[in-house]
Amino acid sequence: MTAPLIELEKVCKTYNQGQPNEVRALRDIDLVVAANTMVCLQGASGSGKSTLLSIIGCVFPPTSGRAAIAGKQLARMPDRFLTIHRRNTIGFIFQHFNILPELTVLENITLPLMPLGVAPRERKERAERLMGMLSISHRANFPARQISGGELQRVAIARALINDPPIILADEPTAHLDHALSLAFMEIMQELQRAGKTVILTSHDPLITKHPAVERIIAIEDGAIHVP
Amino acid sequence: MSFDKQLNIIDYSLSSIWRRRFKSLGVMVVFSGVIFLLASFQMTTKALTTVAGESLASAPEITIQKMRAGRQESIPVAHQAKLGVIFGVRTITPRVWGYYFNETKGANYTILGLDPLSMPLGDQLGQAIDNGSLPKEHEVVLGQGVQASLNSSGSSMFSLFRPDLTLKPLTIAGTFKAGTNLLTYDTLFMNLNDARDLFSMADDMATDLCVTVANPNEVPTIAKKIAALLPDTRVVTRAQIQKTYQAVFGWRSGFASICLLTALTSFIIFAWDKASGLTPEEKKEIGILKIIGWQTSDVLVLRFWEGVIVSVVSFVVGYTLAYIHVSFFEAGLFRPILIGWSVLHPAMRLIPTVDLGETLLILCLTVVPYLATTVIPAWRSAIIPADSALN
Repeated sequence: MTAPLIELEKVCKTYNQGQPNEVRALRDIDLVVAANTMVCLQGASGSGKSTLLSIIGCVFPPTSGRAAIAGKQLARMPDRFLTIHRRNTIGFIFQHFNILPELTVLENITLPLMPLGVAPRERKERAERLMGMLSISHRANFPARQISGGELQRVAIARALINDPPIILADEPTAHLDHALSLAFMEIMQELQRAGKTVILTSHDPLITKHPAVERIIAIEDGAIHVP
Repeated sequence: MSFDKQLNIIDYSLSSIWRRRFKSLGVMVVFSGVIFLLASFQMTTKALTTVAGESLASAPEITIQKMRAGRQESIPVAHQAKLGVIFGVRTITPRVWGYYFNETKGANYTILGLDPLSMPLGDQLGQAIDNGSLPKEHEVVLGQGVQASLNSSGSSMFSLFRPDLTLKPLTIAGTFKAGTNLLTYDTLFMNLNDARDLFSMADDMATDLCVTVANPNEVPTIAKKIAALLPDTRVVTRAQIQKTYQAVFGWRSGFASICLLTALTSFIIFAWDKASGLTPEEKKEIGILKIIGWQTSDVLVLRFWEGVIVSVVSFVVGYTLAYIHVSFFEAGLFRPILIGWSVLHPAMRLIPTVDLGETLLILCLTVVPYLATTVIPAWRSAIIPADSALN
């Protein structure tokens, strides 16, 4: 039995707490995800899956409940330590890729290494290894605004992997990709899982939810895990 | 913070400035302009003070001018005999000091006629002359500017017009060394009688009498005694001239300083506006940086380096332009404000000096307020939440 990498217990998240526009985004979430698995969070828009992904991604701590990510408790963790834990543990792949269009592909991929004080040569070597793996080496010095959507997503994957984090989070990763590119993306995720990563995706896309590599589907409804 | 981390963030700052090059360039142009104005003004004032100080250093301790109806007129040399009785007076030398406008060349010359050997250390004046000697009768020593104006390198003689338009021929006995330009650039130095002849003055008259005293501490007392003996004269001491210069420069520099500080304040408001107005793209960029692992402090350091790079580049550009402006263009923008054509002679050359203390003062007056101005906008951008990149 693999040790759990993500453990959430009675996790709640409330935005604008105590104010007239208070929103309860998550309610009493209990979730355990083992290392080296692939999980998909499924739910309608506004169901709370992005908030759950943010807590798993150490973007912010829960309002209440217990959340342990890669062995660290998030509750009351100061923002500074949350950031350090996030960059050591989590690789993000965003729905809109969130690549800086004026930077080159190489610069975008190495961005997470800059505040770590990694020397330029090592940054380049690490990025070249990932670009080779994802077949985008020929685009290294292209400004990101000049490359295709599929290539942009591979840049986003490379950036997520540059720190070699154990957890990869992907928010609606195939929402802007055609069928072939979506399949290619899932193949990459499957490879990462085989390589020992834990992959958590959010999606409505049947191509993901029915993909054989996805071991668990967790349905979120009105901020709670839906048990059919 | 590690050195490599700082290098990486500086690297990213440079790239960030380049990506926003039009916005950055706008700030740098305005900032350089403000620094240019402040530094030009500082260098011009400093150069003028130096020139005035140098001029005064060679001025006689007491100058006596005859006045009539509040205007200066020629003074009889015979007054020398009356002043000889005052205890402490060392020498009394008649001098002809006037201006000659050369219409052909459009240049103003300073004519100085005196017998240097009648003054203490007067013989040392010869050491300031290049390839020549003190002027004898009908000879003249030229300042470098006069020589250039007359283009007399090929000839040893030239003529000037007397007031009755007859020509007075003069032979060039030598030129002043370039090192004395501050004092001699526009000067024609000649024998006292030749200067009288040029201005059609009587042989027993001069424009003023220069008095040297044995003990500098007695200058005010001796000046009072002279004024009592010669009630129709104006007795001016070197210290009084110095006070006049200081008062004139002080008032003018104060006025100009207020104008420049107003410009600096306007720039700071402009910089604040530019720094605080984050575009949606900039906000998104910060959100992305933070979610991929940049700390709030990293973003603050990034903004700090951006500010340092912009302000230091602007400072170097502005200061260099100011040096060029004062050195090669004679401080064209400030000269009319600070000098005024009637206060110091227009042909005076300004030589800017880079004073470390004053340079640091300008640095503190410009770069530090700029960096301070960008702190709060930088903080506001740095605290953009990481989850903004998810939306």
